Amino acid sequence: MPDNPFCTTIAEQLNTGILILDLEFNIVEWNRFFAIHAHKDAKDVIGKNVFSAFPELPQKWFERKLSSVIQLNTQSFCSWEQRHHLFELSHTRPITTDSHFMAQNCTFLPIVTDKVVNHICILIEDVTDVCHYQTKLNKALEELAKANRIDGLTQVFNRKHWEECLDQEFSRARRYDHGLALIMFDLDHFKLLNDTYGHQCGDMVLIETAQKISSLLRLCDQFGRYGGEEFAAILPETDLIGAIDVAERICREIEKLVINFQDKNIRISTSVGVAIISPNDKRYEDLISNADHALYEAKATGRNKVCAAKEIEYILEE
Amino acid sequence: MKNFNLNEDQQDCLQEIINVAMGQASDQLARYLDTFVYLKVPSIEQVSSQHLSDTLKSEAQSVAVVSQGFFGYEGIRGEALLMYQPKDSDRLADLLGYEPDELSVEEQIIDLSSILTTTFLNVFASQIDNQMSYSAPRLLFSSNSDKNTSSESSISEHIQHNSFNWDVALKVKISYQVTDYSFNCDMILLIPESAIINITSVIDRILEEY
Repeated sequence: MPDNPFCTTIAEQLNTGILILDLEFNIVEWNRFFAIHAHKDAKDVIGKNVFSAFPELPQKWFERKLSSVIQLNTQSFCSWEQRHHLFELSHTRPITTDSHFMAQNCTFLPIVTDKVVNHICILIEDVTDVCHYQTKLNKALEELAKANRIDGLTQVFNRKHWEECLDQEFSRARRYDHGLALIMFDLDHFKLLNDTYGHQCGDMVLIETAQKISSLLRLCDQFGRYGGEEFAAILPETDLIGAIDVAERICREIEKLVINFQDKNIRISTSVGVAIISPNDKRYEDLISNADHALYEAKATGRNKVCAAKEIEYILEE
Repeated sequence: MKNFNLNEDQQDCLQEIINVAMGQASDQLARYLDTFVYLKVPSIEQVSSQHLSDTLKSEAQSVAVVSQGFFGYEGIRGEALLMYQPKDSDRLADLLGYEPDELSVEEQIIDLSSILTTTFLNVFASQIDNQMSYSAPRLLFSSNSDKNTSSESSISEHIQHNSFNWDVALKVKISYQVTDYSFNCDMILLIPESAIINITSVIDRILEEY
């Protein structure tokens, strides 16, 4: 450290690691903070090549990074967000965080003597704390974003997010003149089921039905809970025949589903309405309304069946 | 909107300092990156805090934005925004001399941003007998990492969500082109009003010396 007594004291007491290298990457100097957290003897470090003293360093990356500092005579940085740590150092929160090594923000400074860069100073800040809380915050944000999209009971998309998906798919289909189908499901006699077996049974039926339908859809289809016992699926790039085929298959599978609740075997069925995008549809709500009409028809004409909205009907209604 | 009242001489002088800095910076970059770096003539304009997001909207479609603060003597300070367009980052690792698996795309972008910002501003500072220090560069927004969680889909939205403690700023925009790697990015320096007054007095001193 420099001769100035202030500098010496500060450098030794600073809670920042200091490591000084020459242009051959030999270690010229380090401060107390670095020495303590590295758990190494000065004789194994001072005068030694940085890559032999700290074999954990990514050599090629490190050399290139330092070459920019030397050649451009400018400082360079490395953040824990991109690289958790460069040097394997201990840190001050070994008990209350799960970080094995100190998370580090590193600064590489050129040191100019006689108008040329002769040394590089590496500053290491301990940001284990920041890293710990930021990671927790990111996780919380992710969970919040998920909770915002998912229906708590059935774990499929909620109404709000599902409608946003439909809005996007609708404009995309419109813009590129692609197919788009909508299937709406309404469980038959659901109120009776709730009244007979209780709401816990109703909830279980909703969960199992949602799971069953999800498993029968493609990865690109978007499935959500539309309302109480209503579900809806968006099928991109799908024509009427394809959509009816999927709807029929789901209808048959739901009919076969046996749900065991308190030693009773419960069977259910669903009415299904299918609609596809037509030139008359100006907004995605039109598509919902067409599927809804078809669903109503399925309900009115005996339940446990699939009805499709007919193009001619749209025109007649208008 | 208040005006910096840069007169024609002051404006010319600032433009000249920036042009010279650009020239030297592109020369240094070319030698370091071992390829030609083209810089377009910079545009200098005044923006108000209310209109900043509109101004940046015209630079829309950025997939990544990196911010780095800078500060020198005599109250000169500001923030540099490096804005990357889609596909710019395909061959970044190659350009920077790293192996692609050595570092993430985010790290490549941050690394290059820091190099572009500091190279230019170091030369700029030395022209006015100043010296710059820098904060660590920070990725403000990246469509790669934020696609699942963030509702902020662009830099202008990011800025819209902030309220500022400044009214007007000087905006200097420099476009970098590395044709051999078909790579482009824009560097936007935003210098707040209080720092402009300080720059103006430095410019006046330079003008007096002539």
